[in-house]
Amino acid sequence: MLETWIGFGQGPLFRLCLALMLLGLTRIFLLTIIGMIEALRRNEDKIIPWKDLIGKTISWLFPLKRLFNKRPVYSLISLIFHIGLIIVPLFLAAHLLLWKNVTGFAVSAIPKLFADNLTLTVIICSILLFLMRLFYQPARAISRKQDYLWPILLIIPFLTGYICSNGSISPNAYLLLMLIHVYSANLIMVMIPFTKIAHCVLMPFSQLVTAIGWKFPKGAGGRVIETLGLKNRPTWVEKPRLVYEDLTPEKEEVSV
Amino acid sequence: MNLLINKEERERAFKTPKKENVIEKQQLSVRYHVEDFALENRPQRFLEAFAAILKHTNYRLVLDHYVRISAKCSRCTSNCQIYLATGDEQDIPCFRSELLLKVYRRHFTISGMLRGRVFGDPGLQNEQIQEMAESFYNCTACKRCSIECPMGIDHAIITHLGRYILSELGITPRALVVSTREQLIGKSGNTSAIPVPALLDTLEFLTEDMEEEKGINIPFPIDQDGAEYLFLPAVSDFLMEAETLMGNAAVFKATGDSWTIGTGYFDGINYGLFYSDHILEEVLHKIEAETKRLNIKTILIGECGHASRSAKYFYPTYCGGKEALPVVNILEYSWKAWKEGRLKIKPNVIKEKVTYHDPCNFARSGWIVDQPRELLKAFCQDYVEMTPSGRDNICCGGGGGTVSIDEIRPYRTTIGGRAKAEQIRATGAKYCVAPCANCKKQLKELMEDNNVDCEIVGLHDLLYQAIIFENVEDEKEIHHSLT
Repeated sequence: MLETWIGFGQGPLFRLCLALMLLGLTRIFLLTIIGMIEALRRNEDKIIPWKDLIGKTISWLFPLKRLFNKRPVYSLISLIFHIGLIIVPLFLAAHLLLWKNVTGFAVSAIPKLFADNLTLTVIICSILLFLMRLFYQPARAISRKQDYLWPILLIIPFLTGYICSNGSISPNAYLLLMLIHVYSANLIMVMIPFTKIAHCVLMPFSQLVTAIGWKFPKGAGGRVIETLGLKNRPTWVEKPRLVYEDLTPEKEEVSV
Repeated sequence: MNLLINKEERERAFKTPKKENVIEKQQLSVRYHVEDFALENRPQRFLEAFAAILKHTNYRLVLDHYVRISAKCSRCTSNCQIYLATGDEQDIPCFRSELLLKVYRRHFTISGMLRGRVFGDPGLQNEQIQEMAESFYNCTACKRCSIECPMGIDHAIITHLGRYILSELGITPRALVVSTREQLIGKSGNTSAIPVPALLDTLEFLTEDMEEEKGINIPFPIDQDGAEYLFLPAVSDFLMEAETLMGNAAVFKATGDSWTIGTGYFDGINYGLFYSDHILEEVLHKIEAETKRLNIKTILIGECGHASRSAKYFYPTYCGGKEALPVVNILEYSWKAWKEGRLKIKPNVIKEKVTYHDPCNFARSGWIVDQPRELLKAFCQDYVEMTPSGRDNICCGGGGGTVSIDEIRPYRTTIGGRAKAEQIRATGAKYCVAPCANCKKQLKELMEDNNVDCEIVGLHDLLYQAIIFENVEDEKEIHHSLT
């Protein structure tokens, strides 16, 4: 029975979750691209400091140089955690068959010993990141539910995967853990586009989005107060916003 | 360096100068003075202003992006000098931005609206607006947090947008509003309310002063049609920074380039950068009109960080894109003239120890970092760097327009500028060069309130002492023989 469910999780459900993840990520990727194009079209000033933006982006994509300026321990843990998160699911020998089934091609697997050590490292890093969030007051102050949930959720497939591949456990326990492994991994894939993990696709655009955001459309300020029905009452006139009642008839409908 | 303030300092910094009855009347407990504004339906009006701004601008792109990627890693805490001084969670840059992002998610995204319905979230409340009004003006918009954000979030743009929305409700520090009103519709047309005759008197006086000192005529050309450069310093320099202006004029005397001050408009200040895109644009159009009136080729901004950034980065935005006139800062100009050999400088003229403060608006983007240093080293015998400096510099503590709010001086000099005061003290410098009108004002107050023995000066104040007027030696002789 468990085997059937595992088979379903590794087969059709895996393909569905993968498709949802890819579609979701493609959606936000395209929305960002379209948003940037629209913004640039709206702006008279289309000057983009490409060199500076690309430099900044690369320095964060490969943050070996700058990450350790501040909070070096946290930074090191976070960096190793991210490396493990990317390498193990993609290049573990046991996963390659799954990828081959879906994509039709396979790359070389990483050595088992390396994969095992990396898996253990990710688990330890997850625990440390979770504890840091819990006990470092500034991090706790800004954390949402998903910020606590993610490190825990990520431990599940890594831990179950590690036990299944290394532990001497009964066949039933193996099947149960494998079931948890497969379904938690599928759940993670589906959640990625809808949570902060979307940064795996969007993060390289941040500098560009910000640079475009700082380019304001010409005349927008005037159009804003026109929409608000305050065309003749810009913020710099005397008592511009003291009485509103007599202004409402001019007001245009804006969606709130 | 432990920057955390103690209880006594906290009380001093957060003491409100406002009377209870004003706070009650305005239903707004912020430390800065605000002109009276309509109180009814404040949340609704906030959302209407927010919606109108989203409709006509590109902020939605930025907000959507930040909402999706914000990982709440708290790295920004390590670089925010306000948070490092207070240790208050509400001063964490991510916490501050979240105040507005929360409103955006709740009212302007489908998932937020649905969640609001399902969980019965009543939406934006008065208290949240009050919290934003306080928080967004506690921030100096120095962008140091953005350096450390692995996700590339720029919290300063959120602060800027938050202030813009609040301004459309009438919630803006009175000091900024009054200056802008004078600049845009006042008789004088500038933020310091200097009438043209007073400006001309001042410049004449400065020329006489320089003549006495240097023995040559160093003029301030007025309304020169077709001049290469239209000079726009922070207008307050005409009142408070005579030596900087003298240095500026002396550089032009030495290079021989054509420049002018326009009586139609002579103010580089643009508070729109701090709180309103609308004002930002209107002020830049005033500059544009003056350049057209005088057939100017290049806009030259004086020693002022925000004036330079608002012109350099937003003049193309509002006045012609790629076709817009070029904008240069006086530091760039003087450095270039020196590099080209058109400006000669005597080495080692300044014997005392000198350090340099990077205004955030120049340095954070990497625009002006090395040029002033190279210039200073050319005539200062004992130049020392602060740590950190350049793109990573620490803000003076009066950025984002907060320096103009006199009633929050204890906050600025206790919390905002604490890190800077200690940084300057550690150099042991006699002079701290701060080529920005806002930084200068803040740093002078900071040195006073923190008992640091250091004189705050502009770069051209010192440069003035080192310039060699090579091409005017003949003129000097003629001038002497005439007098």
